[in-house]
Amino acid sequence: MILVSLVLAGFAAVTLWWTMHAWRTPETLASTRFAAPDGEHKLTFSLLVPARHEQAVLEHTVERLLLSTHAGFEIIIIVGHDDPETAEVAMRVAATSPGRIFVVTDHSEQKNKPRALNAALPYCRGDVVGVFDAEDQVDPELLAHVDHAFRATGADVVQGGVQLINFHSSWYSLHNCLEYFFWFRSRLHLHARKGFIPLGGNTVFVRTETLREANGWDGTCLAEDCDLGVRLSSRGKRVAVAYDSAVVTREETPGSVTALLKQRTRWNQGFLQVYRKGEWRKLPGFGQRLLARYTLTGPFLQAFSGVVIPIGIAIAIWARLPVGVALLTFVPVMPMVANLVFQVVGLRDFGEQFDLRIRWHHYARLIIGAFPYALVLAVAALRAVWREYTGKRNWELTAHVGAHLTKPAVAESGVAA
Amino acid sequence: MTVLDRPEVAVERAGGTAGALPGVPKKNRTDLYLAGGLTALCLVLLAWNITGFPMASDDEGTYLAQAWAVAHGKGLAHYTYWYDHPPLAWIQLAGLSWLPALVFPTLLSVAGGRLAMLPVEAVTLLLVYVICKRLGMRRWAAALGLLTFGLSPLALTMNRQIYLDSFAVMWMLAALTLALSPRRHLWHYAAAGGAAAIAVLSKETMVITLPAVLVAMWQKAARSTTRPWAFGAFASGLALVGIFYPLYALLRGELFPGDGHVSLIGAWQFQLMSRSGSGSVFDEASGSGALIDSWLYYDSVILFGGLAATAVALFVRKLRAPGVAGLVLALVAIRPGGYLPAMYVVQVLPFFAILIAGVTEFGVDKLRPARVWWRWTILGVAVVTALGFVVPHWYVGDRRALVANDNAPYQEAADYLRTRLPDRAGTTLVVDDVLWLDAVRAGYTRDNVIWFYKLDLDTAVAARLANGWRDVDYIVSTPALRQDPNSLPTVAKLLTNSTVVASFGPGSGPVEIRRVDKENP
Repeated sequence: MILVSLVLAGFAAVTLWWTMHAWRTPETLASTRFAAPDGEHKLTFSLLVPARHEQAVLEHTVERLLLSTHAGFEIIIIVGHDDPETAEVAMRVAATSPGRIFVVTDHSEQKNKPRALNAALPYCRGDVVGVFDAEDQVDPELLAHVDHAFRATGADVVQGGVQLINFHSSWYSLHNCLEYFFWFRSRLHLHARKGFIPLGGNTVFVRTETLREANGWDGTCLAEDCDLGVRLSSRGKRVAVAYDSAVVTREETPGSVTALLKQRTRWNQGFLQVYRKGEWRKLPGFGQRLLARYTLTGPFLQAFSGVVIPIGIAIAIWARLPVGVALLTFVPVMPMVANLVFQVVGLRDFGEQFDLRIRWHHYARLIIGAFPYALVLAVAALRAVWREYTGKRNWELTAHVGAHLTKPAVAESGVAA
Repeated sequence: MTVLDRPEVAVERAGGTAGALPGVPKKNRTDLYLAGGLTALCLVLLAWNITGFPMASDDEGTYLAQAWAVAHGKGLAHYTYWYDHPPLAWIQLAGLSWLPALVFPTLLSVAGGRLAMLPVEAVTLLLVYVICKRLGMRRWAAALGLLTFGLSPLALTMNRQIYLDSFAVMWMLAALTLALSPRRHLWHYAAAGGAAAIAVLSKETMVITLPAVLVAMWQKAARSTTRPWAFGAFASGLALVGIFYPLYALLRGELFPGDGHVSLIGAWQFQLMSRSGSGSVFDEASGSGALIDSWLYYDSVILFGGLAATAVALFVRKLRAPGVAGLVLALVAIRPGGYLPAMYVVQVLPFFAILIAGVTEFGVDKLRPARVWWRWTILGVAVVTALGFVVPHWYVGDRRALVANDNAPYQEAADYLRTRLPDRAGTTLVVDDVLWLDAVRAGYTRDNVIWFYKLDLDTAVAARLANGWRDVDYIVSTPALRQDPNSLPTVAKLLTNSTVVASFGPGSGPVEIRRVDKENP
């Protein structure tokens, strides 16, 4: 009991420390921003938009991409050969902007995102490949920022910010939004600095030649984004992470708890796969390997501690343990509660940055929902382990309904996979 | 932007804000040598004759005995712990006081225990210097602050004694230091919260200086992008460390008042509502008035100077944080009808020292003496006058601290108890708390050494004496024990029904070993 408490406390403290990375000092916070672009457009972009049963949101996404202020980019929409509805929308959109938008059909037997991306890779003509999801709301200024970031830092990879916006949709979406906020605003920067980074699934930009050298994405991996980051990190590629709430890519949370559970299961299982693949062992530094080990197993530890700590406290109070031991079981609560305090501050900051009105009941929801949300994460973690060891490795797609979009017209129901 | 392979320093620079860069060693070590040297000087003065002056007080003995109980695994106090004070100070004391007890076994326990306060005072002195520097004062002003705190006869007297307030004020100064961190690091703010919580758990009254730390943080984090996070970190540190005390009470089932057990909330109710006030500080006849007089007797300079400096500092932005502390401490002291503890001034002194130094520097800056002879003259006259007033005053006070031997009677009584009385294990003894630990260490059975205070106020102690006062063999009568005979009937009865077998010290306030005459009716 004592040992478990101390280990949990240590884990929670380290996680908290890293989560708060960006806000350590005002200087750190300033260094996480995109530097202001210089207005020159020197790179060309190939933007990949894999779409699968996403005809409801695809058109809007591509239209927004076309608004980009950058001079040199092409859009490649990837559709499956068995998905005529989406293909039809893609073709129609492509016809509006010939020479700018292309459609690539993925003929692979088992469909998933990495295979779709690989199908498009040979057709990319730009210097840089960028990935977006079909439901992303991309800022028109983003490419100009990324162009400048590549040139200013000499990086091989630029990861931009992604943010879930529809915090008001449901009790869990609030937590989900904040998770993204802390991850992209803060934690990823720590990873970039330490030289081990699991990349995000979109708004990620890689130099085309680097991507080709790395043989593209791993078609068997459930977390192809994380895998790519790990492989590029272990090859010593330079990764720049920048966050600016003005040019962040907006997304929506999964539409139901079940969808969230599936999405999280997929990520966790993907992390597990990347961990087992062992590519991270090639990282040069011991600290980097430790960070990799820790990060890839992190979701499981987090899920575990999120559930075990409250149970430990219940035991401590009701089981009449010796006072000293009981007090020790409260030690892991300290970083856990501190985390919640920072989430409250984070929610306020989130509201300010994105110009959203945060009401008192959102704070209340944040605090009350913390434990149920931890439970969902724990279930997802267990499910991931279960699926991985029973060999279920198929892709459970997250359905999107467009709740983050402001125009009500596109908020019609999407069809889930 | 955060980029892989970019050394930390470069990134910090890229942020564009000047500030202390991490990992860059300071070439200039003058501050270290200056503060270290002055602290060493003050420590020598503090340690010299620490066992002889001032006279050991009952409170010192109580805290030391509680520390002894903690160190020997006998709970949080040598009697039932009733949440009178949070226990953290004597838990820290327990970590320090075993060493003098080991090195000087025959020394009066309280006198030896005072050596444990030296590291605490060393840290406090250094923190005074660091805070002055972090408030933006120049080196000479910071040194002035340190010396004012280290050389004031009142501080020299109070800081030698074993008081919980010394631990508390050290931690609160640490919190202030962290809140003024030039890097404005999130975890420094969290640590500041933790340190403030430890300060309050060392002595609950320290909580009134918390606004000073908040003001310091508010100013320091002003116009910074991380201010809400800084306050979140501070609040987390404060609450999460502080919560352990009520938690301890809750886990023991002693949080809420109830029949047959002590409780945290019950103790608070007593402290806040039932405790009788010690009168007004302006009424010379009251307890508070007498206490203030005794402080002024030791040193009026730091008290009046500090009050005056507080009034000025509130209008100087960079001195506002310690100014707020000084103001709150002064207001609480003069509040009508409140209870003023004897060691209250311990919390006040470092803040007053910082304020005096800060306001002095402020005055010198306003005068801007450079190149103008008459301004230099004014400054020179002011300095000479101040020194001419302070130096003789402090010389007398400090000299007394270095030579007086007020504890000889206690020391002789302790020696007598250790060597002269037969059958120590079977003897029941009533003592004050100064001698309690000496008696236990001399081989008397712990349950048979009774702190006089508990005879009438602790039912568990009274229950141990089946035949009432006749079960007591000896009572050691000291000024502390004789102080308030009317409220303690059993003690009064013991004093009337006993004969002096040995007496030490002057006729006015002797320490007497008295044998109880059990045959008396």
